[in-house]
Amino acid sequence: MRDVAIVGVGSTQFGRAQWSLLKMMCEASNDAIVDAGIGERKIDAVYVANMGASRNNRMAGLSSGLVDRMNLYPHTVSETIENGPASGASAIKHGVHSVASGYCDLVLVCGGERMQEVNNFEATEFVSYLSHRYAEYPYGVTLPSLAGMFTRLYMERYGVEARHLAMVAIKNHLNGAKNKKAHLRIPITMEGILTGPDALNNNPWIAEPLRFFDCCPVSDGSSAVLLAPAEMVKEFKKTPVLIAGMGQATDSQAVQDRPDPTELTAVRMAAERAFAMAKLTPKDIDVAELHDAFTILEIVESEECGFFKKGEGHKALERGETQIGGKLPINPSGGLKSRGHPVGNTGVSQIVELVLQLRGEAGDYQVPKQPKHGFAVNFGGFGNNVVATVLKRGV
Amino acid sequence: MAMNVEVAKCTKCGKLSYPTHFYCPSCHGTKFEPVPVGGEGRLLTWTRVYALPLDYAQLYVTLGIVELDMGVRATGRLEIAEPKTGARVRTHIGKVREINGKDITGLVFTAV
Repeated sequence: MRDVAIVGVGSTQFGRAQWSLLKMMCEASNDAIVDAGIGERKIDAVYVANMGASRNNRMAGLSSGLVDRMNLYPHTVSETIENGPASGASAIKHGVHSVASGYCDLVLVCGGERMQEVNNFEATEFVSYLSHRYAEYPYGVTLPSLAGMFTRLYMERYGVEARHLAMVAIKNHLNGAKNKKAHLRIPITMEGILTGPDALNNNPWIAEPLRFFDCCPVSDGSSAVLLAPAEMVKEFKKTPVLIAGMGQATDSQAVQDRPDPTELTAVRMAAERAFAMAKLTPKDIDVAELHDAFTILEIVESEECGFFKKGEGHKALERGETQIGGKLPINPSGGLKSRGHPVGNTGVSQIVELVLQLRGEAGDYQVPKQPKHGFAVNFGGFGNNVVATVLKRGV
Repeated sequence: MAMNVEVAKCTKCGKLSYPTHFYCPSCHGTKFEPVPVGGEGRLLTWTRVYALPLDYAQLYVTLGIVELDMGVRATGRLEIAEPKTGARVRTHIGKVREINGKDITGLVFTAV
């Protein structure tokens, strides 16, 4: 098996798309191709990550569309990977396997989602298809409602308070305000969203105890990475970033079915597998992008991945350890909370953001001291399908 | 339309599962007999959901996960004004949602 490196990255603006889904994906892909400087070299395979095009955009077989628009036919191998909100990292994993095995050399992985083509009710409905068909969905269970029930249990058991949830949102909005491609570039304050007289107007309930600013926005956006065997990295312009480890795990679909519903077992297992493959530990990580679709998830994932002990994540947050400049900056890009969450694309965008950090190209939200190792968690369903990735600067 | 609100009892080892799985989670058996969900239980956690999907006319719905005395957990609709975790609840079958104009029945929990 060959080592695999990321040699190019690209991303569109997140938020409300100015372009069609395929045009967004072409822009992100072209950015990655220009970033890498591939010259006359041919792309061997295209893996597309998307969750909702069939329902929201009335399009299927998206990878064929992208290959067509990018004039990569007929030589290119291509397919679309739908793995819920973990589609992005799953598509990268397929790309990595295809390069590692020697099947392909240069692989484009592009995530794209255009959710704002439908209204919020439709978008909520479409994401709720991730819930269990009989035990959850008929009751109107949505992802925020699973997160609400999880949060209540977690708060009662571990002493997490509403102010800790707000701290995640405030930190990630502060970070995202510095990221020109983020969806919500608005700094928020504790007074404005929790303690002030207008807090409930500014920050209404979504699924108690979660409020509006505890939940990520519904975003459009596309991101892309170019993968190549480590032995070829000298042929490209930019500092290569090695995919040092990837791990994945699948938990029960219904949250009620888990022996302890406050445990995110698939997150823990995916992280352990990624660290084992990379021969690294959580202590080696300098920057992380975690899947904060809900504020509670950043806290709990930071524990399940081994950065903090169980029940201690909110204390590390309170001490400022997860801010840019802290011991372990988490979501310097703004995370899903502020950068946005184009569901099928998110896993790709997390890796793009980590590559920028490891190259030292993140500009206003660059983590100091030249980070060497990055870590991402891409979380599908309510933790039923999780992919973790460890990245390393250089090969 | 009645949703699947029956618990599956493994005919080999007697283990109850809800929701059902193709294999018994305990002994990998594949034969089950249906047992109606019912009786009382304890509210494990709950939420009042305001951001609702399609086809809801109300402002919010209250949902919870209950640990039933019969030995399984179930998610369902709460008809309790001020739910408290740990509270005793009773199981009913009732309308839980309308999809495309059709009533969907499922688990509804009330206070004991």
